[in-house]
Amino acid sequence: MKRYSQTTGEVGESSDLSPWKTADALDLVYVGYGLLIVVLVLVSYVLGAFTWLPYDPEQIRVDLLNAPPGSAGHLLGTDFLGRDILSRLIVGIQAYFLPGLLAIVISLLLGTTLGALAGYRSGEVETLVTYFNNLVDSFPRLVLILLVIAAFKPGIYYIMVVVGVTGVPAVASLIAGKIEFLGQKNFIEAAHVLGLPSRVILLKHILWHHCMPLLVIQATIGMGEAILIETSLSYLGFGVQEPTPSWGNMVQAGANYFFQGKFWPSTAPALSILFTILGFHLLGDGLNGILEGSAGK
Amino acid sequence: MIKPRTILEVVDLRKHYRQRAGIFPALQWRERFIPAVDGVSFCLEEHETVGLVGESGCGKTTIGRTILRLIPATSGRIVFDDHDITAMSARELRPLRSQMQMIFQDPDASLNPKMRVRDILKEAITTHHRLSDGEVARRIGELLDQVNLKASKLSNFPRELAGGEKRRVGIARALAVGAHFIVADEPTSALDVSIQAQVVNLLRDLQRQLGLSYLFISHDLEVVQLISRRVAVMYLGKIVEMGLADRIARAARHPYTHLLWSALVEGQSKEASHAPLNTRTGAWEPFDFERPVSGCRFAPRCPVYEARGRPAVCTDAATEPQLHDIGGRHYVACHFPV
Amino acid sequence: MGAPLLEIENLRTYFHSRSKRAFIRAVDGVTMAIARGKTLSVVGESGSGKSVTALSIMGLLDAGPGVISGKITFRTDGGERNLLHDLEHYVTLGEQDGRIMEVSKDEAGWRKQVERIMAEVRGKEIAMIFQNPKSALNPFVTVGHQITEAIRLHTPTKHPREAKERSLYWLERVKMDSPRLRFDNYPYGLSGGMCQRAMIAMALSSEPALLIADEPTTGLDATIQSTIVGLLAELKSELGIATLLISHDIRVVSRLADDVAVMYGGTVVEYGPAPEILGAGFGLKHPYTAALLASRPSVQNVQENGGLPAIDGEVPDPIEVPRGCRFYARCNRVTDGIRDRCERREPELKEVTPGHQVRCWLYLD
Repeated sequence: MKRYSQTTGEVGESSDLSPWKTADALDLVYVGYGLLIVVLVLVSYVLGAFTWLPYDPEQIRVDLLNAPPGSAGHLLGTDFLGRDILSRLIVGIQAYFLPGLLAIVISLLLGTTLGALAGYRSGEVETLVTYFNNLVDSFPRLVLILLVIAAFKPGIYYIMVVVGVTGVPAVASLIAGKIEFLGQKNFIEAAHVLGLPSRVILLKHILWHHCMPLLVIQATIGMGEAILIETSLSYLGFGVQEPTPSWGNMVQAGANYFFQGKFWPSTAPALSILFTILGFHLLGDGLNGILEGSAGK
Repeated sequence: MIKPRTILEVVDLRKHYRQRAGIFPALQWRERFIPAVDGVSFCLEEHETVGLVGESGCGKTTIGRTILRLIPATSGRIVFDDHDITAMSARELRPLRSQMQMIFQDPDASLNPKMRVRDILKEAITTHHRLSDGEVARRIGELLDQVNLKASKLSNFPRELAGGEKRRVGIARALAVGAHFIVADEPTSALDVSIQAQVVNLLRDLQRQLGLSYLFISHDLEVVQLISRRVAVMYLGKIVEMGLADRIARAARHPYTHLLWSALVEGQSKEASHAPLNTRTGAWEPFDFERPVSGCRFAPRCPVYEARGRPAVCTDAATEPQLHDIGGRHYVACHFPV
Repeated sequence: MGAPLLEIENLRTYFHSRSKRAFIRAVDGVTMAIARGKTLSVVGESGSGKSVTALSIMGLLDAGPGVISGKITFRTDGGERNLLHDLEHYVTLGEQDGRIMEVSKDEAGWRKQVERIMAEVRGKEIAMIFQNPKSALNPFVTVGHQITEAIRLHTPTKHPREAKERSLYWLERVKMDSPRLRFDNYPYGLSGGMCQRAMIAMALSSEPALLIADEPTTGLDATIQSTIVGLLAELKSELGIATLLISHDIRVVSRLADDVAVMYGGTVVEYGPAPEILGAGFGLKHPYTAALLASRPSVQNVQENGGLPAIDGEVPDPIEVPRGCRFYARCNRVTDGIRDRCERREPELKEVTPGHQVRCWLYLD
């Protein structure tokens, strides 16, 4: 049964309600959850940067090895060296937050530039960009990263540069596609006829007005990917090394004790990874539903 | 009497589109191209409206865009306000752009859907002149008056406006930069009949008030005839007949013009209904290039050609009919004008 | 003469706008009838609801809530059917001040019901042709195959070779040139006019009792339009098929229609024989019809100063439906005596001459 109703009955100059008011409830929930996660991450980042932590994340307490949550003031318990898990989780964010931002910035800036070049000036430039895209795309991402690590043994920031570059084709093709689609529309021609310089048309009419939601969504997806890669690498032992905490290496460290019944040291970071990445993706999804949904009408 | 100034002169304008060839045609030395505009010449005087009429594929829209330098011309000359703009750089062209504008066919696509009406007009006003906020507001008010648009529409987005209102925003935008020459690309086509009359009246009033000159492109012969002083009829990239609107309406000499008019008349004329089972239109069909048309392009559909037993002079490339003056600035490109 | 072939009574089709949280009253109480072998033309502009009416008959509406009330009686030799049978069981309406403000509809259930009713009707007894023929045909299938498919689906001819013969027969009937050649063409290889002929062939191949033509000539070049109109006129007289022609083009309507229904803002404002409604002079016409005919950009309507007598204002908004007469805001024939009523109450349809009805307070005294 579907129900429809109308509240006003009089003739008037009704204008469209803002997309936020008419959004699907589910999308709003997604966005709400996603924002919550983002806030938590930001707060944790700040806490970690200033080391305003409940406990010293590197302090070993031999008497409290693998203590369950709630024991002696450790909200989430301790790990195999007696270190407070909560504090380590908070600090673990340092491992991926800034590097992740770097990856996103690279993907978006480079991707937008290449996409704009390809979409706006077709011909040789477009072909070149397409070749570059295909080249980068054809590498499996994780393998490429492992190769880089094996060859150069770089820090996480350099790894994130690679992550950023491998993310460029996706952004570039989205932008290029959008530009091609819009290029058919007369209002771009109208802007030309007005005498607006191409630069302005591209930046204002195309990118700002039409590509912003796209880019925001790509940013959220990018962050989710960055987190996943960083934690995967740390789990495998390639990223952040002990004793510096990363969610990935925390999972790895606790893995040995998992089957001894002490599942907490592994599960806490694993769930954090899950819920955080979920948060970013849902944020992107929800925003997409709200912002693009209204454009469709 | 002072002779009116010619503000636009188009000389032998051509626009060829290269056709994406398949594998085999590419092996041939001759390049395949679609001559969308194939040698068009005319001029337009100040305060005049010249109508450009034809069916889909005749090239009229392409001419409009080429004249405004939205598309580069393949060859020929475009002289606007005594400036040869055919190959001008974008920078040199910029100041001239404020003098020539376009009204687009699709009212939905020609306005940026994410910009409010106020912003659209403001952008147009400030592109070429620096004005204070107060002056901009005053100019916007002036424009709204001229196109008869309510001030309450300023904060609306294009999708919240009705068809006629969107069209009027487009017209206001063209006026905002201060243009005195406007290319109107099918301005009445996407509108309901009752709104078409409004727009036609508006365009006429504006022409009188502001001394505008129009190139009025349309497939609707009746609207063109109402608003234009001179009319050019196009077919497959060429002008086949050109003259005073009255003459084209009442005393057309080219067989194609006759065909267009008869399609409108409320009882189908005999020639059209018994035309040879020729359902080919004026559009460039995919198989055209297998049988290149030489000579007069209208010959395959021309009832006069049939009636006269297919004279060779019509299809011989060397004797392709050219526009010639048959008196009173009435030009026809036909060997056997009706 | 007998009872009409298709009779629509008080049809209401509403949609709902999420962004405005209001109903789009696309068809708001429409009554009309098509007699056997005759052509009824529905004339109107955007927002008049003419296309939605056709889609409502065929059950081709997707958006919700869709058809919410009415009765469509379809009378063939096989009997009489209500194409909106049992609609009341699926829909509950809530009114306020005489206006529908709430709709509850079992959409999934109604969709199934429509499929049950229309499965044997669509394509077989009622066929439809659309605007923009190139996009209405399947671009991945040859034209001939599409017609053959329709024949095998809707007629007793099931054998592929026989069906192909029938297709070619119909392609010839619609005056397609080189039918055998065109049979194997894809829609992109044909011009707009040829695609429209193919679509007409497809529609008529099942020899339906009623043909619904939704803006069949819009989007075609002027010279082609007139040949298609000529074709429809010929087929009409040869086959004796009843037609519901939807169009905004008065020229096309005047050549094909026996009866005309003028729609404005979702309702029928004038209904009657074509010569009376479309003929010259104000006569006993609805002010909208008169103004529409007078405002056409045509050489006959040009006034002394070279302008056209235009109708003020914009086409009606199906969301903001006024209380009184829907045309009141743009009407130039309101007199002081009726102004009050025009503003407050919607007039009923009244017969002004035999067979000719007008919905206007000018005639309701």
